[in-house]
Amino acid sequence: MSVALKTDAEKQVRSLHLVGVVCGLAAGAWLGTAEAPVKLAAGQASPFIVTLGMVLGVFMARWTIPVLLKGAGFVVKDLRQNAHLIVWALLAGALWVVANTLTVYAIRNVGLSIAFPLWNMNCLVGLFWGWLFFNELRGAGWKGVAQVFGGSAALVVGAAVLAWATTTRTPGASGNALLGVAAALGAGVLWGTQYIPYRKAYISGINPLSFVTVIAFGELVSTLILGTVFAGGVTNLGHQLATARPFLFWLFLGGFCWVIGDLFQQYAAKYIGIGRGIPLSNTNQLWGLAWGALVFGELASIGEHARLLVLTGSLIMIVGAALIGSAAAPASERSSWSEAMQRECNRYSLDRARVSTILQGDDPLARQKPQRRWWEALIPLCSLGVMAWLGFSIQRPNVGLNLPWMLCLLAATVCTLFFSGLLLWRRTRFS
Amino acid sequence: MKQSIVKRPMWAAILSDVHLWVPVCVLLVGVCLLLVLR
Repeated sequence: MSVALKTDAEKQVRSLHLVGVVCGLAAGAWLGTAEAPVKLAAGQASPFIVTLGMVLGVFMARWTIPVLLKGAGFVVKDLRQNAHLIVWALLAGALWVVANTLTVYAIRNVGLSIAFPLWNMNCLVGLFWGWLFFNELRGAGWKGVAQVFGGSAALVVGAAVLAWATTTRTPGASGNALLGVAAALGAGVLWGTQYIPYRKAYISGINPLSFVTVIAFGELVSTLILGTVFAGGVTNLGHQLATARPFLFWLFLGGFCWVIGDLFQQYAAKYIGIGRGIPLSNTNQLWGLAWGALVFGELASIGEHARLLVLTGSLIMIVGAALIGSAAAPASERSSWSEAMQRECNRYSLDRARVSTILQGDDPLARQKPQRRWWEALIPLCSLGVMAWLGFSIQRPNVGLNLPWMLCLLAATVCTLFFSGLLLWRRTRFS
Repeated sequence: MKQSIVKRPMWAAILSDVHLWVPVCVLLVGVCLLLVLR
């Protein structure tokens, strides 16, 4: 290979790493921001209704955004080319819902300050599966492994320090401690395992925008089943949902923000792997903290010691994210990724050249531009209609808000969307 | 020498994939845990 070609290829790889890192950080921003509208409704309904309301919003967003960006024709064609991945998408949705329900029981039994650090280890579980099944970090050298593992560990420790410092250790969190710890650990393992379908999908070449449309069905069906079983039957569930209508707008809005974050997370998983992408998106804890402290005034009553812990935890997390962000996969590791991709191509009779091109951020299907139909507009219009309908019956939440800080954080979050979206579009055309 | 490639049906490839059974087992453990917690 000539020097010029080699330099060009290196540039392509570096720019793709940058896209992945930026997407991971943007995911953190939007997943953290999604907590803000949910906070407005959380105290008003049972955890199952909060989850169901949010999942309904997530379902709408998981269809609206892909149709707006790519069109239904693209999504259907992409899913047809990767039909085997439908099983994994449904599985990913079910894993997320069961993990989410486990956290409810974990908080009830041991409280958030103990439960959160336990389930937050999900990124280490994802790192393990990425190494075991998808050859991530193989060939990365001791420095690369130390950077990624050290960075992930720093993010877990930093988040644990934040949770410890900011959570009120209520005596009400009394229950079976052993079951609470088991529920929190279970949630962490389930969330970490959810990244197997993610990585599986992306080394097979599917577009994240297509993959999430099927995940939505897995989430919705699982939530309805669990909600029915655990919230006392369909009639009771419907009644609770109707009672929560004044707050449903916030849950739907939270679901929409969460999907934007999740989409960035999917792109991060695609371009830098789950070992690097997931820990970066776990910086959502910092954004959630910023919303809680600056907009909702949640830290107003904490002492000096706790403030110092918050600062320390935040700094540890930032160092962790910087370590992972600077750990670009070397050629030897990328070669291991290619082997994993080759294995998928052999197993499912995929076109290796096509998948390889897609993984470099260039999807041949996107170049074909499948024709858009008029009825596709009904999907975003329907979402808009539902949001407007819920907006009419909205109830002003009885929570004090700091408006200037809210506007600042909103502006910062929208900036991450604009900057990351533009970078993703320029480099990959949302491939 | 020509080598014939025998394509497996998609369902057979999916069902023999360890990447399927690990998440399925983890999901079942999670569901069992939920039933105990209930």
